[in-house]
Amino acid sequence: MAVSFQQIEEKLKTEARRLLESGQVSLVLAWGRGFDEKHPMPYVAKGASDVDGIVFNEFCTHNLARYLVRYPRGTKMAVAVKAADSRAVVQLIQEDKVKRHDLVILGIPVYGIKNPKTGEIIDGKTTCGLYNPVLYDILIAEEVHGQPVSSPYAVLAEYEAMDQDARFAFWKKELDRCIRCYACRKACPMCYCDPCFIDQNKPKWGEKSPETPGNLMYHLTRFHHLAGRCIDCGECSRACPVDIPLYLFHKKVAKECEEMFGQAAGMSIEDKPVLVNFRMEDSDKILE
Amino acid sequence: MSRIGVFVCHCGLNIAKTVRVSELAEFAATLPDVVVAKDYKFMCSTPGQEMIANDIREHRLDRVIVTACSPLMHEQTFRKVLAASGLNQYLLTIVNIREQVSWVTHNIDEGTSKAKALLNGAVNRSRLLMPLTSRVIDVNPDVMVVGAGIAGIQASLELANTGRKVYLVEKNSTIGGHMAQFDKTFPTLDCSACILTPKMDSVLQHKNIQLLTSCEVSEVKGFVGNFDITIRQKARYVDHDKCNACLACTEKCPGKSVSEWDEGLAKRKAIYIPFPQAVPQKPVIDREACTFFKKGKCRLCEKVCEQKAIDFEQQDTFSTVKVGAVIVATGYDLMDTRDLIQYGYGKYPGVYNALEVERLFNSAGPTGGKVILRDGKEPQAIAILHCIGSRDKNSYEHCSRVCCMYSLKFAHLFKEKTSADVYHFYIDIRAAGKGYEEFYNRIIEEDVKFIRGKGARVAKSADEPDRLMVEAEDTITGKFIRLPVDMVVLSPAMIPRSNAKDIARLFNLSTDKQGFFMERHPKLAPLSTMSEGVFIAGVCQSPKDIPDTVAQANGAAAEALTIVVKDKMELEATTVMVNPASCCACQNCVRVCPYGAPFFKEDKGVSEINEALCKGCGLCASVCPTGAIIARHFTNDQVLAEMEGLMEF
Repeated sequence: MAVSFQQIEEKLKTEARRLLESGQVSLVLAWGRGFDEKHPMPYVAKGASDVDGIVFNEFCTHNLARYLVRYPRGTKMAVAVKAADSRAVVQLIQEDKVKRHDLVILGIPVYGIKNPKTGEIIDGKTTCGLYNPVLYDILIAEEVHGQPVSSPYAVLAEYEAMDQDARFAFWKKELDRCIRCYACRKACPMCYCDPCFIDQNKPKWGEKSPETPGNLMYHLTRFHHLAGRCIDCGECSRACPVDIPLYLFHKKVAKECEEMFGQAAGMSIEDKPVLVNFRMEDSDKILE
Repeated sequence: MSRIGVFVCHCGLNIAKTVRVSELAEFAATLPDVVVAKDYKFMCSTPGQEMIANDIREHRLDRVIVTACSPLMHEQTFRKVLAASGLNQYLLTIVNIREQVSWVTHNIDEGTSKAKALLNGAVNRSRLLMPLTSRVIDVNPDVMVVGAGIAGIQASLELANTGRKVYLVEKNSTIGGHMAQFDKTFPTLDCSACILTPKMDSVLQHKNIQLLTSCEVSEVKGFVGNFDITIRQKARYVDHDKCNACLACTEKCPGKSVSEWDEGLAKRKAIYIPFPQAVPQKPVIDREACTFFKKGKCRLCEKVCEQKAIDFEQQDTFSTVKVGAVIVATGYDLMDTRDLIQYGYGKYPGVYNALEVERLFNSAGPTGGKVILRDGKEPQAIAILHCIGSRDKNSYEHCSRVCCMYSLKFAHLFKEKTSADVYHFYIDIRAAGKGYEEFYNRIIEEDVKFIRGKGARVAKSADEPDRLMVEAEDTITGKFIRLPVDMVVLSPAMIPRSNAKDIARLFNLSTDKQGFFMERHPKLAPLSTMSEGVFIAGVCQSPKDIPDTVAQANGAAAEALTIVVKDKMELEATTVMVNPASCCACQNCVRVCPYGAPFFKEDKGVSEINEALCKGCGLCASVCPTGAIIARHFTNDQVLAEMEGLMEF
């Protein structure tokens, strides 16, 4: 079954109009037209008249869960999500940043979304690779049958073959290119800290100029803050103007977390955030 | 600009042996803001303290650094010196150069260099310290005792006699614990019930003791002086307020189950009291064995009960108790020897464990006090095997301490009650205690045979199929022995209760390698734990006999009293606070706090701290991604400055 982006767009518009007109939600988070077809951008419909601005095509990569935490607690919102995006919503619910009952989740089962920069199809290499949302209220298209065969961690094989020194050299080289635009932070649905530690002055946790020590401090701490929380949507890497493969580090940490605690981020709202939750059966490996 | 004084302690040779103390003092004098640096043999001595007090006055010091032993030892000592000299006590910094430096190296160069690094960091941090004010809180005068064996009973009675209210929590339907199962007690051979039951009765009668049987602790909140403990009252299906203990119900009940009390050697009814002297002497219904619960029909007990006390609808209920201190006395389990297949326990009916034998001797036991085997015969030869599972690298390394003595007691009672030959298989006899060696000598004279060698295997005798064969090496003669017997008694390892880990988690106790609760200090604080206001007594700390258990229980009662006797107590000022401007509402602090101090203000969208509950452990500060949580006395600035100082080396 081929995915019809046109049909999804139509269904999205219908549902958004219905939800806004009935007053069930006060806003709908979706995608809208950017400066051309190939560059859609996040879009908020706050009334029925805004609904016509909604678009959906193969370049709608953005994870709209990012924008849920922008609105005051208690705002009734609808959000359009693809598979990985829905995991972000689940994780935010786990962390009590949004309440389940305030949300209407418009789930979009889809594959074949393309990276607007390269035109490549986004798959399990840079994201979790799932097709169907893990949580939704309204399904916008039919579920895609079958899940990807390859593991989202398969891409780590080459990285894991490196020894400790080689890994550090790899990241030092990659992170040296960082221009500190903070696009990764802006794109990330889990980066909701305000202020971010790196923007603080007392104490100053790291240098703000784009040089090695500050770059390492910023990225390594960000990786650490996302441990057990990153839902592997890959938006950080796509947002990066200098193409740093941030997803590699996130995937590595997610894999270790899953192996150690048997829980992947954002898969069930019954789960508790894994690194701030103590269970008697938790692994002690981390202490060894 | 600070005026810092540095005082380096030799601790005799404890520190001076592996740290060049005078060099450390000279180094300190070169650091910025240090106006005086001295070393002295014993800084904690009166002349040492006076030296610090004089220098505070003379040099107008506003920060003091003492490089000495662990702050657990003398932080309070030196804080008092500062307070007496008019300085805020939180302007003291202790640098631990004993436990962290001199005791962990033999190399004086390494020792000195590490001590300098630590001191350099401390000077950096010391400058940024702020004066803090201790909090004074009200203390709840009541005490909770968890576990009503002899330890819990003793501690409760002692406390109740001082006029304190005691909540005594017991998970079983009766108090008494293991001691109530015993027949005689070593070395005096006085009857266990005769010395225990008066105490059990005193507990029941005491106006200051609230007895909570069939209860378990389900949640512990709060901290020393103000614990909020949730108790789960398990459904008994008998209303104990109405029941007049006529026990007509237990006679009529058709439901049967094995008696835990008789270690499975006898049966009991589904509605039952465990033993005739049980306290409270009121029955409970065992849901698993009750015909009504199993088949939906019966209710015979309800029909015969004139008091209308039977209530099949009863549910578990929860209640909260507020106390100032807690004594944990949860006792032990015997190791399950079925796992040691070489001894055949559970396979051969002639193999018994020690508690089963206690019940055989007991006149209220399954055989009325006669030593009769499971097949109805009286044994002609009996082997007692010591150290089963204990002193054994494959199971438990610890010595269970009481098995030698009770095994000797068994030998005596076997001799008294049967005409059997009694053999001991032992590694060595440990009879250290008042009157214990004398008791050992007495048993030797009673024609009991001692074979120095641990029992290796119990098997079916090849020649006489209904007898057993004990195999061992007699280490005195060096000969391999095969001894035919009718009865084998195993003395298994005493191990922590199966739910000791849950108890440890509830009360924040640490456990040792075997799972016994850890004391704060093995010699100087054997009854305190790292959880302030929680004390331990009895075998839950380590295996011990009744005299030691009772002594510990009295000690724990005295320790608990030191807390609840005061109506106010001073708490550390080192709590945390939230900078609301930086809080990102992730609520990590709420999730990780073991004391429930942080809470989320939904209307403001930020976390706040209930300072009365905060213990200053700093867990929340370490998980706060934006650094919005500030741990007083360990602020980010202070810790980072200290780290910078450390890393200059």
